[in-house]
Amino acid sequence: MVKTLCVIMFITFWSLAGCSQDQEKSPETKQAGGTVKTIVAVGDSLTAGYGLDESAGYPALLERKLQADGYDYQVVNAGVSGETSNGTLSRMEWILTLAPDIVLLETGANDGLRGVDPEVAEKNIRNILQILKDKDVVVLLAGMKMVWNMGPAYVAKFNAIYPKLAKEFDVVFVPFFLDGVAMKGDLTLGDGIHPNAQGYKIITDNLYPYVVQAIKKRTER
Amino acid sequence: MKDAMNIRFLIREILHSKSQAVVFILCVALSLVSIVAINSFRSDVQQSIASDARGLHGGDIIVHSHYDFSPALQQEIAALAKKTGIQVARTWEFYSVARRADGQDSLFSNIKAVEKGYPLYGTVELLSGREFSRVLQPGKVVVAPELLKRLGLALGDKLLLGDSVLEIVDVIGRESLRPVDFFNFGPRILVAAADLAQMDLVQKGSRVQYEALLKVADAGQINTLAAGLQARAVTGQERVATYATASSRVKRFFDNLLFFLSLVSVFTLLLAGIGMQSSLAAFLRRKEKSFAILRSLGATGSFLLRHYLVIVFILSFIGCAVGILSGLLLEKNFSTLFAGLLPDNIVLGGSFFDVLEGIGLGLVVVTFFTFLPLSKIKNVKPAAVFRKESDNGRQNRGTYVLIGCGIILLTGLVVRQLNDLRIGLYFLGGVLALIAVISVLIGILLLLLSRLQIASLPLRQAVRSLLRPGNATRPIVVTLASALSVLLTIYLMEYNLHATYIASYPADAPNLFCLDIQKNQQHDFRGLVGQDVELFPIIRARLTSINGERIHRESEMKKRGDSLAREFNLTYRPKLLSDEVLIKGDSLFGNVREKSGLVPVSLLDTVAEMGDMKMGDVLIFNVQGVPMKAEVSSIRSRTKSMLYPFFYFVFPEENLRAAPQTFFGALKVKKSEIAQLQNTIVNHFPNISTINVGETAAELEKILQKLSTIINFFASFSILAGALILVSSVLATRMARIKEAVYYKVLGADTRFVLLVFFLENFILALLSSGCAILVAQAGSWGLCRFLFDIDFDPSWPVSFAMLVMTVCLVVTLGLLSSVSILGQKPIRFLREQS
Repeated sequence: MVKTLCVIMFITFWSLAGCSQDQEKSPETKQAGGTVKTIVAVGDSLTAGYGLDESAGYPALLERKLQADGYDYQVVNAGVSGETSNGTLSRMEWILTLAPDIVLLETGANDGLRGVDPEVAEKNIRNILQILKDKDVVVLLAGMKMVWNMGPAYVAKFNAIYPKLAKEFDVVFVPFFLDGVAMKGDLTLGDGIHPNAQGYKIITDNLYPYVVQAIKKRTER
Repeated sequence: MKDAMNIRFLIREILHSKSQAVVFILCVALSLVSIVAINSFRSDVQQSIASDARGLHGGDIIVHSHYDFSPALQQEIAALAKKTGIQVARTWEFYSVARRADGQDSLFSNIKAVEKGYPLYGTVELLSGREFSRVLQPGKVVVAPELLKRLGLALGDKLLLGDSVLEIVDVIGRESLRPVDFFNFGPRILVAAADLAQMDLVQKGSRVQYEALLKVADAGQINTLAAGLQARAVTGQERVATYATASSRVKRFFDNLLFFLSLVSVFTLLLAGIGMQSSLAAFLRRKEKSFAILRSLGATGSFLLRHYLVIVFILSFIGCAVGILSGLLLEKNFSTLFAGLLPDNIVLGGSFFDVLEGIGLGLVVVTFFTFLPLSKIKNVKPAAVFRKESDNGRQNRGTYVLIGCGIILLTGLVVRQLNDLRIGLYFLGGVLALIAVISVLIGILLLLLSRLQIASLPLRQAVRSLLRPGNATRPIVVTLASALSVLLTIYLMEYNLHATYIASYPADAPNLFCLDIQKNQQHDFRGLVGQDVELFPIIRARLTSINGERIHRESEMKKRGDSLAREFNLTYRPKLLSDEVLIKGDSLFGNVREKSGLVPVSLLDTVAEMGDMKMGDVLIFNVQGVPMKAEVSSIRSRTKSMLYPFFYFVFPEENLRAAPQTFFGALKVKKSEIAQLQNTIVNHFPNISTINVGETAAELEKILQKLSTIINFFASFSILAGALILVSSVLATRMARIKEAVYYKVLGADTRFVLLVFFLENFILALLSSGCAILVAQAGSWGLCRFLFDIDFDPSWPVSFAMLVMTVCLVVTLGLLSSVSILGQKPIRFLREQS
């Protein structure tokens, strides 16, 4: 009996049940308070930690590492899967409500994977950096390198965006966010793009000196 | 006489009780008809889906990876390609930017490089009508029509892909491997694998889907070969699948439907089994005296048992043959019954294996249900010849052991049929519980009847006849009531689901939904479709904890159905929607803010149940990085169709106004104008997706009706089983009835009186059965609606009443028809024969 209904319900629902939403991690967030300073990790699924438990993503790992080393910082995961630089720009106002001391900006990969004109991504990221500069937020910009199959002309144009903007805004710059992880079968989820738990450990280690540099920059101000 | 098989005895015994034999055969046949039909249909559907799957997946074996194949796997594939009877085609699929040769324009495109022989299954249709494999040569490409339009190119023009200049030679009409692709960001370009090196797009640092498709001539080898490949593949990175293991939605749908029909047919089988058992038991009871005489004349118990075993075997064999034949015939005609639901390429027809399986099944069922009555033959004592009543013999230990074995056998059979141990056991448990409940009910009613002081003579006589020894009143009523209650429950559930989800879809409800309207498009969107459109803000967020307890993503994702770990669509608005009611709390947001200073949130009852959330619970949301602590201020429920927009979490506007959001629009449009409006919207705002909900409701209704016809069709077989038991019981008590009719007449009653007694007897029988069935079905459906589906329950009494009337008509007609010959009996002739 129950089965018949399941069948009926199944049919009733199938045309309405949308595709299952992207499964990126939601961060464990803490209430800001006292002297704890806030780093907001802004980005797409690479920041959100697609397919992994939130504690395995790089913002969580980074927070643990910073606190172990005596830095009084919390790291907020503000990654949204599938987001392009356009989306990131449109939610800057919201991100600023978190009152970040430092923003780790990782965006643009989805623009590249969808073949969006690199000029559009460049314009968006420039706008984001400008907004953060106006608010006097220290920025760590994570560079992205486009997959080779997009063709040499596109790849060259895309890859040039990040060092150029880093110089223009004088921000702390990580040349390649996925350095040593991208296209490694044992460090990604099998799709060659999204890091696994092991991959995020490497990313965190790679980022760490730059983050410390950003903290110093912030303290000097 | 002791050892030989006496053929004449066999034939005489069968001929002497022709009607009983026919009923028994029909019971056996009936037990098999629907199950054979369903089983054979299942294998046809599976085969058809499997052959579709080859076309859909492109090969018998599909090897897939996001990386170039590991050396071991590559070697294995190369070795297989050299074998005769195995064909291999490799493909590389990736996105890239295609440019016009003059550098004027470029377009993000989906490139697929294919080896010779591709596609192994299915086709790539070209607009020119030429054969794909002849057209796609090195240096050439075939492209989707969209690419020509968007780049302003024509056939014969050149296209730049990576470092290659390729000539466009044809346009793709349809690819069977890519029938629908929702996530298609760019138009397709098919290119020869030989050009890959020159293009220089596939290398380390490229994002490519690597695939090897294998076509294997000997289907028996597929699984072995796939296992061999799997053994060499890098786990978690290289995936080896066969066309059969790759899943599809069509397959899931039919799996569910056929599973349910299997349940119904197993139910029919059990009822028919009870029919066999009761008709055989009644028949043998009638024979008790002659058995005793035979024993007195020197026949051993095992002589009788042996002969009756053979008789049952012969009758069962005939029954099996009739059942299997009718089942296969029935299945041949399924195309009418299932019209519109079947896969296109299905061929209906039974196989030898279906027949074999049917026979096996039939024998198991017959063995189980005839064993008890037959085992009693051996115990008939010669002394029974002198006694009026035979003692209803106590069972010895051996009998119980055998009954136990039978139950295990039957359980195995049901589990095998349903292909699921847990559900098989639940099902058997459920059926047994149903039969037990009905038996208890009937037992109580019969007891009450026997205690009743009845003034009217015909009625009193009718009640006494029902309780007559040897009468199969109880099995008849239990079987009929079980069958009827299942049928009625199915009907009531369909009726209520339909009323809730389809019929309640109000005529003025929105029929066009628009998704992903951007904040800055609100004004222009209203200008385009009219000012009165309702726009709901949507903010994507996650629930991170309930009362401080974290939501564990991994355990949530394993749950069936909705998960608390997914991204939710939050909204804000000041009041309830027109189809909502508050079930907890005085107002949407109450006085939470004044009391605790937290953000109030109103929950829909479904999500509240999902997470066991109550009023006052503290929820923490992560709104794209920003944590928001909220307290449950009210719980809402919905009164209308599920096709109306709804939101799990509703907040006050001031708390979410600043959050990143898109809007959802619900429009009511004239049916004839929907398509045009959809086009207009997409032309103005390419980012907005539209969904025609009115059409969805109509489609759903069609499918639901089709399904209920199919289900009712199969369920009606169980009614037949009930009718057969009725007939067999009337036949078994024929002698007793004749005796009664004669005595009534001798005592001065006329034919009318006798008829009235018989009529009332059957009438009470029918009332008992359908009354019990209605009671059980109404209670069951109410429970299902209330607790499982959480929808309003409408008992739909007219239907229950109609079923009651129909049951009464059926039972009374059948009962009277089989008693007609009794009425004609002349008392004196009967008395002479008897004395």
